[in-house]
Amino acid sequence: MGYYNYYGSFVGLLAISIALYLLFTGSGEAFNVARFLEEVNPYIWAMTGIGLAVGLSVLGAGWGIFITGASILGGGVRAPRIRTKNLISIIFCEVVAIYGVIIAIVFSSKIGSTPIQENVLYTADNYYTGFALFWGGLTVGLCNLLCGITVGITGSNAALADAADPQLFVKVLIVEVFGSIMGLFGLIVGLLMTGSTVPFAAATSVTA
Amino acid sequence: MTEICPPYAPFFGFAGVAASMVFSTVGAAFGTAKSGIGITGLGQFRPELIMKASSSLIPVVMSGIIAVYGLVVSVLIAGKIQPGSYSLFAGFIHLAAGLACGFTGMAAGYAIGIVGDSCVRAYVYESKVFVTMILILIFAEVLGLYGLIVALILDTLTNGVEC
Repeated sequence: MGYYNYYGSFVGLLAISIALYLLFTGSGEAFNVARFLEEVNPYIWAMTGIGLAVGLSVLGAGWGIFITGASILGGGVRAPRIRTKNLISIIFCEVVAIYGVIIAIVFSSKIGSTPIQENVLYTADNYYTGFALFWGGLTVGLCNLLCGITVGITGSNAALADAADPQLFVKVLIVEVFGSIMGLFGLIVGLLMTGSTVPFAAATSVTA
Repeated sequence: MTEICPPYAPFFGFAGVAASMVFSTVGAAFGTAKSGIGITGLGQFRPELIMKASSSLIPVVMSGIIAVYGLVVSVLIAGKIQPGSYSLFAGFIHLAAGLACGFTGMAAGYAIGIVGDSCVRAYVYESKVFVTMILILIFAEVLGLYGLIVALILDTLTNGVEC
């Protein structure tokens, strides 16, 4: 942890020196959040959101699968009867990845088949679509990541409880179902955010 | 596109939606996983206590409620962000509402998780701690409710602003 403090203070020192340089050389206006948000291509926001939606969801699913799988295999050494029944925990984790794929496919329908030229790209609707897809994809990805890890930990619990006493499996499975609703909530919020977006379209009149 | 309703205003509004859902999910995920571990431990030693499924699942249900708080605020904010008529003022308000609900949900979920885990483990040895556990969990849940209330109050401030 000591090394992380060194890196953190180095990054902080770099940020402060850049800020003071801008301030004292008369170009303090260069730090302009509004101009940054207006100048960044909306396609970047949209594509990053789509990539993060499926990437983080699959990361969560994979993380959950290896947590659960290691426990199933370990517990199956002494109690081989648990092997087949506990695969349902693996399926719960996989569903999280499916949510990410669904969202990525739905979002990518908002990207047109032909890219729009830069002089007609920067409309209010396109900005809105770009921001909505970015934050929607990030929400879905992070919620699914957390859900996948939770379902994985709970699935590991279920496997080891099943190995100790077969009657406990269903009780711990209830906890796992409560864990998997979080991914569903992320899916709902992602779809709501992008519900009123229109696909990318060129401006009807060329603006400066 | 005016000074009051610039085209980048939805960035902050959607950031609020995302913050509300994601940070509440962090709390709910931690609460579910940590108290689930405790419930599994309880079941090894006293399976008859876990048979009454409702009593031992209370920490898990409360963590799920934290996720629902985040969902409610997210849905509320997301319904108000429409293209073209969204002011920067509303964007910042919704960012504040989302951060308020999200971080309080994260805190509440952490508390519920740790309290649920340790109390369920104590329940193995002493049955009388159950009522105490419920009381502590209620106080932890109310933390998330505070964030929800503040988010709802903030959201009503956007009613009068027009482009």
